[in-house]
Amino acid sequence: MASLSEEVLLVVKKVRQKKQDGTLYLMAERIAWGPEGKDRFTVSHSYSDIRCQKISPDGKAKVQLQLVLHTGESTTFHFANESTSRKDWEAAKELLQQLLPKFKKKANKELEEKNKMLQEDPVLFQLYKDLVVSQVISAEEFWANRLGGINNGESAACENKQEVGISGAFLADIRPQTDGCNGLRYNLTADIIESIFRTYPAVKQKYKENVPHNLTEKEFWTRFFQSHYFHRDRISTGTQDIFSECARQDEKGLKSLVTQGVKNPMVDLLSLEDKTLDEGYGISSALPSTSHASRTVKESSNFAIIKRFNHHSAMVLAAGSRKRDVPADQASETSSTDGNSRDSDFFQPPLKKVKLQEAIEYEDLQQENRPKTVALNLKKSDRYAHGPVPLQSQQYTTSQDIINSVNYIKHEMSNYKPNLTQVLSSAAASSAIAALSPGGVLMQQVAQQAINQMVPTEIQAELKHLYVAAGELLRHFWTCFPVNTAFLEEKVTKMKSNLERFQITKLRPFQEKIQRQYLSTNLTGHLECMLQAAYSKFHIWQTRRMMRKT
Amino acid sequence: MHGENTQLHAERPQPICRMVFYTFISSEGEISLLVVVVDVNPIWWGQHAQSEPEFTLSKCLDAVMVMGNAHMAMTRTNQLAVIAAHCQDSHFLYPSKRLKGNDDTSSSRDGKYELLSVTNNLIAEEIRDIMSKTELTGNSTDTLLAGSLAKALCYINRISKEVGVAQEIKSRILVIKAADDCALQYMNFMNVIFAAQKQNILIDACVLDSDSGLLQQACDITGGLYLKIPQKVALAQYLLWVFLPDSEQRSLLVLPPPAHVDYRAACFCHRTLIEIGYVCSVCLSIFCNFSPICTTCETAFKIQLPQMVKPKKKKPKLPA
Repeated sequence: MASLSEEVLLVVKKVRQKKQDGTLYLMAERIAWGPEGKDRFTVSHSYSDIRCQKISPDGKAKVQLQLVLHTGESTTFHFANESTSRKDWEAAKELLQQLLPKFKKKANKELEEKNKMLQEDPVLFQLYKDLVVSQVISAEEFWANRLGGINNGESAACENKQEVGISGAFLADIRPQTDGCNGLRYNLTADIIESIFRTYPAVKQKYKENVPHNLTEKEFWTRFFQSHYFHRDRISTGTQDIFSECARQDEKGLKSLVTQGVKNPMVDLLSLEDKTLDEGYGISSALPSTSHASRTVKESSNFAIIKRFNHHSAMVLAAGSRKRDVPADQASETSSTDGNSRDSDFFQPPLKKVKLQEAIEYEDLQQENRPKTVALNLKKSDRYAHGPVPLQSQQYTTSQDIINSVNYIKHEMSNYKPNLTQVLSSAAASSAIAALSPGGVLMQQVAQQAINQMVPTEIQAELKHLYVAAGELLRHFWTCFPVNTAFLEEKVTKMKSNLERFQITKLRPFQEKIQRQYLSTNLTGHLECMLQAAYSKFHIWQTRRMMRKT
Repeated sequence: MHGENTQLHAERPQPICRMVFYTFISSEGEISLLVVVVDVNPIWWGQHAQSEPEFTLSKCLDAVMVMGNAHMAMTRTNQLAVIAAHCQDSHFLYPSKRLKGNDDTSSSRDGKYELLSVTNNLIAEEIRDIMSKTELTGNSTDTLLAGSLAKALCYINRISKEVGVAQEIKSRILVIKAADDCALQYMNFMNVIFAAQKQNILIDACVLDSDSGLLQQACDITGGLYLKIPQKVALAQYLLWVFLPDSEQRSLLVLPPPAHVDYRAACFCHRTLIEIGYVCSVCLSIFCNFSPICTTCETAFKIQLPQMVKPKKKKPKLPA
């Protein structure tokens, strides 16, 4: 049962686990559950063992809390109290959320990593079994070289995290739900709040000013959504709204954005115009009106919406290109794409020049600046005629010989008639067949190639394991050289004794085993050779050390 | 198998019974083209005929004819070509230009499959013709093997185009080599080898006298078989056993294993085989020793010598 010194932080009755009713206890250092009526805890986990907690989504009838441990197993608790299940569940969840981060230990993580590595790589697992379990080398040595990569890899990954951009539709995604009684319910998540702050720094400023002094967060957001600032029309600007200033600022920003113009001097926005055909399809002589007053109500609201859309897009783009984690000082922002910043662009004339140059020059038509090469100037090109072929002793024939041979062959072939029935004598044929059959003169190598068919597969597998284990030990041994420090000296001596132990405990029994099976092939010759090389190196090193000391 | 071949069996010696096995496993409609390049260097043959009278050029050609007949008789769609590599030129023995001429000589007297008798007669006529026209120039005593191989490749290319896209054609070249290698043909030889490799044409080699490094490389690169025959009199048997089956069938048979090829290059200055050498990056000529100027293309080189480590002076021990 719980020791008396343990402080119980929360008790939740009627919590089911594995279809059994019971009580959940949250203590200072562990979470425990005991079945109803019993004194003992059947389930107890200390917070350091718990990796994370999972909660069932809000809509589900069953209110559940799942604890996932470092070892991978999980325990589920079902809050079955009809009236207070939700409250209990929330309380438990909050408490766990506060307590778990305190107890997270890094050491468990390493153990997890080791286990994962062993499970994923069967060769490594076999090596571990061969070397550590049979006590040829210790576990620290085994993991010494392998775990270094893990910790380094993680930190590198964290540095290259990409920044998350802002979705252009984040305001639309809020999607108000009707509450049932003429109200609207807006669902705000931390992401959306962050997007709003990033896009509209004015709103962020207002938030900082008012929360938590004047308004609670909930009130602030309620006001935000209620204000005309948020709504599409934005025609009336009532002064009691805290957001009316934002609206004025936005207008100013939009105006400055328009005066700034587009950076690319090739793009002429002014030539674009909304040309709508008025009544009469352009034929009737209605005067085009440009004054604000003669605009219809519908037109002006269209204008307002379009203006708002433009402003919103400009703010989203500006927020995306702004660097993250800049201290909230608007004046220090130097991005000139943001309508609200006061920056003058010094860069327009050279930019135009650059753009023009880009348009008229093609890179591949320019003169190439390749590195200087040496021209090929062959003096003795007849060397290529024979190429890298070695000189072979020529058989010299005298011209008389040549004449004789040619005459002889001419004479022979002048009366040539194919005699296909006397091509081959049976004696010659059978000797040729004998030479070509396995074991014959020409087929000597074929017999030797079948060694992998002569050795049974278990022996082959065992030999492979031996090679892997021996390779690992030899790698540790050879990396000790050159022996510079005292640590390496110790290690090299230890490795030599490990190698000897390996030879005695693993290699000798294997050799005896294959000898018993009358396998004449020498399978372990190479392994012995490698071990001998290591021993001789050690011996040389030791004698040199002795000589240096004396 | 066709009815005519029963008569064939009567005149052939025993090893032909293996032919029946091959026919059942060849695929339908696939054309297999065999080009035999025979080295008919008159100087070599003349010399060897005098020392070994039981194996002469006539016997060699008889063996080649037997193999050619066997190849053509195996499947209707098999095709054959024979090229004679001389020291003056290379000549097609079959199919030859005489084919289009006279039809009366095609009637065979012993009831043989007509195609075979026509082939044999043509080959005999052509070789007689070539040998009678041999003239001595004195300069070249080497067989023009690279040229014959190039002709063979061109012929294969032509036949592949004639046959059309739908028809599959598999070709291979068999070289029967007598005289020694000619080092001057090295470049052409290597070009031929790589062209054959690109076209998936096997080059097999049956060597009668001395080992040829170039042909060993050719067989290794293209995937063919290289064999140096211990007994020249049994040439027909070796040809039928080893070189008659095509590449698909060879995987099912136990044939002599491929020999180890010596790919070492010879340096340009001494023509000796080296394992490690220096290559000029401009002209790619190989040298055994470093020299600051390449002798082939006269480019100058600089090479950094490894730093010499000065031995540390030991401090003298202070007397106690």
